[in-house]
Parts: sequence; structure tokens; C-alpha cells
Amino acid sequence: MKLKSSILGACIITCTLSSCTKNDELLQYSENEWLSGGAQTVFDQGAGAFSHPFPYLSGDKLRVHEIGDLGFEATFVTAPAPLNPGLGPVYNNVSCASCHIADGRGRPPYPGEQMKSLLIRLSAPGTDATGGPLPLPGFGGQLQQFALAGRVPEATVDILHTYLNRYFDDGTGYELAVPEYQFLNPYIPFPAGMQFSPRVAPPVFGLGLLEAVPEETILAYADEHDADGDGISGKPNYGYDVIKQRPVLGRFGWKAAQPTLKQQTAGAYHEDMGITSSYFPYESAYGQPQDDGLQDDSELTDSLLHAVTFYVQTLAVPARRNADAPKVMEGKTIFMNAGCGSCHRPSMTTGVNVAFPEISNQKIFPYSDMLLHDMGSELSDNRGDYLANGNEWRTPPLWGIGLTKLVNGHNYYLHDGRARSLMEAIMWHGGEGAASRDYVKQLSADDRAKLIAFLESL
Amino acid sequence: MKLKITMLGLALTAIAFTGCKKDDDETTNTTTVTNEKVVLDFADYIAHYAYSDLAGETTDLYTKIAAFNATPDDTKLQACKDSWKASRLVWEKTESFLFGPVATDNIDPRIDTWPVNFNDLEIILANGQPFTASYIDGLDDALKGFHPIEYLLFGQDGDKTAAQFTPRQFEYLEALALNLKTLTGDLATGWDPQNNSSYYHEFQSAGNGSANYPTLLSAYEEMVNAMAGICDEVANGKISEPFVAQNPELEESPFAKNSITDFTNNIRGVEAVYLGNIGNDAAGLEDIVRKHNLSLDSNIKTKINNAKTALGNITVPFGEAIFSQPIQVQNAIDAINELKTVLETDLMDFVQLHVD
Repeated sequence: MKLKSSILGACIITCTLSSCTKNDELLQYSENEWLSGGAQTVFDQGAGAFSHPFPYLSGDKLRVHEIGDLGFEATFVTAPAPLNPGLGPVYNNVSCASCHIADGRGRPPYPGEQMKSLLIRLSAPGTDATGGPLPLPGFGGQLQQFALAGRVPEATVDILHTYLNRYFDDGTGYELAVPEYQFLNPYIPFPAGMQFSPRVAPPVFGLGLLEAVPEETILAYADEHDADGDGISGKPNYGYDVIKQRPVLGRFGWKAAQPTLKQQTAGAYHEDMGITSSYFPYESAYGQPQDDGLQDDSELTDSLLHAVTFYVQTLAVPARRNADAPKVMEGKTIFMNAGCGSCHRPSMTTGVNVAFPEISNQKIFPYSDMLLHDMGSELSDNRGDYLANGNEWRTPPLWGIGLTKLVNGHNYYLHDGRARSLMEAIMWHGGEGAASRDYVKQLSADDRAKLIAFLESL
Repeated sequence: MKLKITMLGLALTAIAFTGCKKDDDETTNTTTVTNEKVVLDFADYIAHYAYSDLAGETTDLYTKIAAFNATPDDTKLQACKDSWKASRLVWEKTESFLFGPVATDNIDPRIDTWPVNFNDLEIILANGQPFTASYIDGLDDALKGFHPIEYLLFGQDGDKTAAQFTPRQFEYLEALALNLKTLTGDLATGWDPQNNSSYYHEFQSAGNGSANYPTLLSAYEEMVNAMAGICDEVANGKISEPFVAQNPELEESPFAKNSITDFTNNIRGVEAVYLGNIGNDAAGLEDIVRKHNLSLDSNIKTKINNAKTALGNITVPFGEAIFSQPIQVQNAIDAINELKTVLETDLMDFVQLHVD
């Protein structure tokens, strides 16, 4: 019942209160906030919350979304095969959906479990011709810990932990788990100077809306040399667009190195599953002994790549829950007072797009600025990725984060899933986030609970 | 596989339905069932019951395969095939509530992935690796679970005999059956009332302390979305894909020629959740609906029966029916989509009106 009254409320308020937005809207409460994805918000607070198409999607577009949905779930197998051939020869997983489970968030493996929705990027020191990470000789840009039967995986990975015991200012203790990666059974010795970056599979809903935010909007948030002296930089990354063959503003991935969802999708097929496409026509293991050396036709047709890309472009954003609860609203005030909103910007508006009205001119609430920020040495992967240095990470969107436990059954956050709760994720913040972290550190237990209640309402 | 929800629809029905509350007196024998009771009984008499049943069936399958492996003959092979189908029956019914551990612990893809990776399966059978539990555990989803077991038991054309089994096939089959038994056992544990951290308690505490289900309504929505979700998957995935592509290679469960049975059991699973009866008659959504809206109850039951009838009208194995019985196949798709629509619109509107 709460749901419906608030929707009606939201409708009314959109009509009547539109004159209130001139003030500092970051601190203001607006009924619009219930609609995290603007018009493309869905009201499902259950296990399928991340998996709905845009509610307003015309019939033909819905059909493409459905085709992409089946493609997203399709399990690839060894070629030749009548259905979904082309897996490998080395790979991280067998389908999109097996990492992005229920279109949600991956996690590091539990003890004794294989690494399934976490992958390891690799590189050698230096940059390649496009300014990106230099592939590690013999391994490429990513570690594939699985191989087809009869082929050799590149290596396997064990994750050990050490623990940091720290304290909030009120004396309450907390513990942070520091992951340590052990690479076992490499098929050839790792070259000296190897750099690596572990990354969990991020949620895939709402991405079409983020892609639709105008470049100038994102650039307006940037303050690379902190000219305003607030301690927050905000730096755009420019990844390499393989079709345009030039650097383009990066939006996706943990370091914002991917300029478009289509390239991101093709890249995931290529590196994660060993599926070639017109974007990446050579096997990820090209030149390695696992590869058969036959450069066959692309294993993924352009039409299916389009459909799967369109699928993630048109996954709707779940509405907030309890956004008007007093505890949640107080938590939001704490969030803003702590300065979290300087990077996790509450809202932005997508550009006008007459060709795709579903994503046109929507006020959305991703809680991100899509920019890179220095997160300190403790979170550093010591590996550059285009313009991002080791300490720099893209502000990840927070929308839907409160449904992680329900949809994905876990509470692991940050790029490598090291944080075991939202509070640990906050306390891992360093660098530009250190001041906000310290603000949270001095809060009372009651105020900390309010902050978490706010995050869980997103 | 996913439902379309429009907030406008929600808002309009909220207004439109407020005049209908007078139907309250037209109830039959279900007046005593509370909204809470349906959620409690779902955990007890649907999820816990069905997953325990499934674990029992897969234990039986493992036992029969081990016996077949010990002294192979065609009678024991037939017993294994029958047991596979019995396990499959329960599993397909549980697909009408694919939330909780089956989803979050990623068990569904590990026991029910299609297609099978035949090339790698042949290589695995040819190499000398011992089929330990951890070896099976480390295999891709396309190399374990129901379908590789089906392929090994039934053979490519569904007529495999005991004499055709190689020693490696016996070993692989038994190890796969053990893995299936273990994973379905995990599902049963995941809904076990005796297990304090199980999803049973999470679901039962909906609206009463549950983190995942802050309101009773959210638990109802979960059930209704899951019911509509499997209808979508059957009509627009499992049936439609091979039919539209006219490609029998896309069919799931081809070796046992069990696809129509699978689809029908998916619909029976929807019926079981609606009635609150998957073996024991308990409180179900039906009881709440009948308290307020007999015509909706009748509509849902009609649509369920139409779907089952339409599937029953397909009289040849599904891989043939996509060519020889296109009208019957299309009718089944349409009937299941109609059921999906009544669930995701009418039933969803109903629970949002009557459950807080």
C-alpha cells in the first residue's frame, strides 16, 4: 500500500513542485527520489528487482530486449556445436548471466569455492599503442582460470586474508579484511613486473540511462586539479573506442575505461568467455599455446551483440524503498553532510534523444559522478588503466545497492568485493574519500545506523 | 526473464479497485486464512516440502545409479531412467518459485544448464582423471546436472541399453548423480526449519523483522513475480525459441523426450503455489483471493487449466511438434502467456490491494 500511495504522491509532486528545484537540490528531499531511474523505474522489491525491462518500452524494442535477454543467459560450449559454440579456449565463465547473476553484483569466492564472478586484469609495465594497459606476454589483458577440456588454464587463484582492526571514535571496533592474491599453477612463469587488478562483476541495470547522460554534464563535474579546493578532484577517463579508433570519454568498468556499452559487452564476450566478434576478432588467447590458431569467423554475430547490448541498455532501475522514513531521511542528511554526495552525486539528467525517447531527458538518481577519484593507497591496484592511475577508481552508482542481499544473497562491495558490509565499504575509503570516512568514523552508533538505513533504501 | 510493470497500471488499479471491496462476504470455506498464514505455509508446505522431496528423489536416483553401476542390466537402467524423470518432475515444479538459495547460491545453473558441452564431455570421458567430488564441482555448468545425466542415461536417441555403457561413463554418471544429490540437498537445507540461518526463517518473518521482506506484501509480490516469471520463461523461452527458429537443437531435455512433461510440471508448480498444495493442502494465495474476488479465482484456475490442456494437446515429442503440430504449439504459447498476464496484472493488483 505504501508503494502505491507514494507513486501517486510522486505523480502529484512532479506536477506541482517543479518550481522548488532552484535551491541546492542535493540537500533537498524530493518525491522524485523514489524514482531512481526516472520514468524507467520499476516497482519490484523482490529477487527479480534488477531484471525488468524499461516499463515504457515500445513493442519492437521489447522484442529486441527479449532476444538480448536470451543471449545474456545463453551458455556457451566448445565448438563445433549446434547451439552457442565458441567458448574459450580459455575463459572466466560460460555465460553473461553466470557472472552477472540475476543482473546483479558478483562477489569473491568463499573458501574452497572457485572464482566465478571475480576476474583478474593483467598487464606489463607501460602502455600500449592506444594508451591502455600493456598486455602481459603469454597471458594478455586478463587472467583466464578456466580452459576447455584438454587445454591448459592460464593459472588458478587463491585468495588469503589478513585483518586490520580499527575503531570508530566511540570506541566500537571494526575489522577490515585485506585480500592477498596467490597465483598458482601458471602454465608458463609469470613475466617479471606483472601488474594485476581484481574486479567483481558489477550490476548491469540502469546502464542505458548512464550512457545517455551528456558528456558535458559529466565533464562539468570534473575538477581534475581541485581548482575549487574542496579536496575532491573528479577526473574523466578517456578509453579507446575501437570503432572510432580514438580516445572517447570512458563511462563503464571500475576504472571508467570503456566508452560505450557495446564495446563493454563485446569486451566481456571476448575476454571473459573467449567469444570473438567484429569488435574483437582475435581470440583472447591469440598466439598462446591454448589457441588453435584458426582465425574462424566471428563467434558472435553483430545482431546478437546488438541485442545483448540493448538488453543491458534497457534494464530498468528499481524504485527506492522507505525513502520517506524519518531514519532514512536523517541518514541522507548525514550522507550529504559527510561529503559523500560530492562524488556520489544524487542525480543527473539524461540528454534529449528524439530517436530513443525512453531514455530521453530523464532525471535519474544514480549517486555517482561517473568520474575517477583517488581512493588512497589501501584500495590501490597499482595498475594504470588509460588515464586512471592505481589509486583512482570511478565512483560506482549506488542505486539498487540496498537490494544486493536479497537479489544476490551477499553483502560484498567495492571493486574486488573485499568489503563485507556497506559500513566496511565506507571505512575502506581513503584519498579523496578520507575526510568523509573520518566524518563517519566520529558518528554515534545511532547516526551510523541511519546512514546505513539510507544506503539500504537506495 | 522478466515482467513488465508499469507504475501507471498500479496507480490506476488502486483507484479502480477501491469500489470492489464489498465482495468480502461472498467467501466459501477460506475465511479463516490470514494473509500471514499464506506466507508461513508457503515456507512449510511448498518450499521446504518440495525441496525435501527433491532431495529425496535425487538420493533415490543416486542409489539406483550406484546399483546399476555395480551390476549393470537393462532393468536397473530403466529404474534409473524412471528415477531421473521423477526427480525432474519435482524440480520443474520448484521452478515456479526460483528465489532464495536456488538463485543466490547459484544452484539452478549448476543443476539445470542447457546445452550440454558435448565436445568437452567426450574429452572428459576419454581422459583418465578420477571423477572425484571436487573434480565434478570444478566442471563448467554445461558438464554437470540433470542434462549430462540425461544424456548418459538415455543416449542421443533416447534408446540406450546397459550394454552400451563404458566404464568411464558409469563412473562419470555416478559422480554426477552424487553432485546433483549434494546440491539439491543444499537446497533442502536452505529451506530447512531446523537450520536457523535458512531462508525458511527469512521468508516466514516477512513484515516481521525480515531484512529481505520488510513487508508481508513484499513476500506476496515475490511469489507472484516468480509464478509469472516461470510462465514467461516457458512460453517465451523454452517453447518459443525452438519453435520460432524451427530448430530442434534448441530443445531442452531432448534425450528423455521429456520436454512437454517439463513444461506441464512448470505450470503445475504455478498451480501448486496458487493453491498452497504441492502434496499437502495448506493455505495458499487461492484462499486470500477467494475471500475477496471469486471471479479472479475462477479466472486464474481457468487459465491454469487452459495452459495444461493446451500442452496436453501436443501429442508428439516437442522436437517433432515444432514442425508437425505448429497450431498446438502456438496455442500452448498463447495459453501460457494468458496465464502470465492474469498473474502479473490481475493477481498482482489484487495482492497490492489486499496485503500490506
